[in-house]
Amino acid sequence: MKGFTGKLVGSLYPITEEECKQIHKSAVRVLEEGGMRCDDERAAKMFERAGCRIEQDGKLIKFSEKIIMEAFDKCPGNFKLHGRHDPELDINIGHDEVHFATVTGRYIEDFRTGERRQATRQDAIEGTRIGDALENVHGLYKSVMWIYDEPKICNSQILVAEQMKNTNKTSTWVYNTGAEHEIPDLIKIWGIAAGGAEALKERPHLIGHVIANPPRVVDVNYTSWLIGFCDAGIPVTVYSALMGGATGPATLAGMLVQIMAETLALVVQVQTYKPGHPLAFCSFNPSMDMRTGLWSFGNPEYGTVGTGIAAMARRYGVPCVGFCICDSCDTDQQTSYEKALKLYNYALSGIALTWDIGGMAGFNFVTWPEMVLENEVASFIGQYLKGIRVDEARMAVDEILQVGPLPGSYLNRRHTRDWYRKEFLIPELSNRDFFESWERGHTELQEKAKHKAAKILETQESPVKPEIQKEIDDYLDFVVKRDVG
Amino acid sequence: MRGPAIDERYFDKLAQTVIDGQEEECLRVIHEGLNNGMDPLEAVEKGLAKGINKVGNDFAEEIVFLPELVMAADVMKAGMKILDEKIKAEGKERKSLGKIVIGTVKGDIHDIGKSVVAAVLQANGFDVIDLGMDVEPDAFIQTVVDNDADCLGMSTLLTLTLSVMGETIKKMEEKGLREKVKVIVGGCPVTQEFGDEVGADAVGFDSKDGLTKVSELLSV
Repeated sequence: MKGFTGKLVGSLYPITEEECKQIHKSAVRVLEEGGMRCDDERAAKMFERAGCRIEQDGKLIKFSEKIIMEAFDKCPGNFKLHGRHDPELDINIGHDEVHFATVTGRYIEDFRTGERRQATRQDAIEGTRIGDALENVHGLYKSVMWIYDEPKICNSQILVAEQMKNTNKTSTWVYNTGAEHEIPDLIKIWGIAAGGAEALKERPHLIGHVIANPPRVVDVNYTSWLIGFCDAGIPVTVYSALMGGATGPATLAGMLVQIMAETLALVVQVQTYKPGHPLAFCSFNPSMDMRTGLWSFGNPEYGTVGTGIAAMARRYGVPCVGFCICDSCDTDQQTSYEKALKLYNYALSGIALTWDIGGMAGFNFVTWPEMVLENEVASFIGQYLKGIRVDEARMAVDEILQVGPLPGSYLNRRHTRDWYRKEFLIPELSNRDFFESWERGHTELQEKAKHKAAKILETQESPVKPEIQKEIDDYLDFVVKRDVG
Repeated sequence: MRGPAIDERYFDKLAQTVIDGQEEECLRVIHEGLNNGMDPLEAVEKGLAKGINKVGNDFAEEIVFLPELVMAADVMKAGMKILDEKIKAEGKERKSLGKIVIGTVKGDIHDIGKSVVAAVLQANGFDVIDLGMDVEPDAFIQTVVDNDADCLGMSTLLTLTLSVMGETIKKMEEKGLREKVKVIVGGCPVTQEFGDEVGADAVGFDSKDGLTKVSELLSV
């Protein structure tokens, strides 16, 4: 799927080139002097192989700038996430193209009844179908965080299976339940969806998340996932999940330094384990709301630090992806301004893929109408990114000379007909009614979104081949029998 | 040399010129058709009207938008001018959903909104006589009488020229036209209260609303 492009992609830098160097030097100093605590023996061996200084019997790893920069030398500058069995769905993760993906929630509002409840397996299917149908959704996160009407032990397997059965668009995965068989099972299901383990390696269709545990810990779970993703040929994100003011400093520059230090450590880890493996930086940097102690995602600091990570990624020559979540617990104005502002900033900073569409309340709430609405927001952002393209045809001097002065009009001109669709956005759902007409009767935006969601669910069929669906089901049967009995 | 066969394909070609907004090609096809025995009434019904109806439907479905609609209406108008003359010369008569005279009132040169309404009406099967802008009340009335119109549509964007609408309606009453001719008014400053005050039959708040109201007024 072609992402959004334009002269504004990558135009936003919240830090200067000189400041990027300062952040880099500071992050390196943290790694040189303080290092990372390492909770995993396999990780310690990887760092030892990279040439890091190992202290405290493998529990503390210290890095030199040389080791870090050698790791970056092995990183590809961009890579593809592939559509399953459909090259049209491939997306480029690089620096000049912006993509949007869905995000998740534990709770859902059933748009048919208005009931807010815990998510079910049917919700996982429906969310996937909606994401699959929306033209500005280039990839999918898990539709719901957990499936509450299925056993915990195989929740991840069921979630992934339903996603793989209902879309061929690219996806992503973050460690979920920690169940014993989670990693091999999911890799098996992703392999079936791709057409086999080798096909998954050749055309990886998802990106996996490898996260440092802040402050400054490389942990066991994410080392396991790193190994799993790398062995399966699945590109990874590397990042810190720090919370400013709690697990990271309460200054934006300080957050960025720690995020970079932890990210650089993971870059070394990945490139040592599998040199040349595709990776991207990632923005997931809430700060603590100092009134409540809760993490906040909708704040401007999150967006600003995210664009700082993107600037650093550009400097290191690797792509950047990110999460864009809001704090608002409803599909209201707060959701709109928190998400639209941040998403636009992310797009301007060249973040190649943002998980944003549909989710609210810090990964706790998701609705399908919101997904539909944010699909429209994405089209607005895509339009902004184009900027003003200047060429002879667009400057339209001959046209201006021919039409004016009044009473000439451009409305019935060939030039208008040829260009308006390319230059103007015609939104699908947004209201542009005349005031009186709107006052006398209209359909609310939320209602339009519900209608569209309902229509998708009534008409959208799974694009996944029946034989692949069956193979996934067969494997899932095995998993459920093994884990649940 | 044998000319083209005047058959369904030929009319489809004519319809396509309207859909594509190709005025020159439309006129060429009409002249060629007439020179080869094309029935002008059939050319309207199976060619121009079919084309404009397709554009009108696509406009309603939001498949095409105003530039396509207005261009199609312009092509239709140019084609109709030739075909209507031919129909008249043959002593025949063309049916329509209704005849509407439309224009921007005296003192106002805002043309586009009114032109959009005219195009929408035309695309939906109405005959539209567009007097343009800065139209005197007497010119509206004379055109209504001369063309035996069913409806008059007046537009303005300015508050200062609102009074011309009332003046025109009053003159229509004096000439005994109000029983027969419906009046719809529209434009940014026109409210329902104003429409009621000056005695208009309806207020059109945008092009689609205008179409709905005219259709209701003429019981279409």
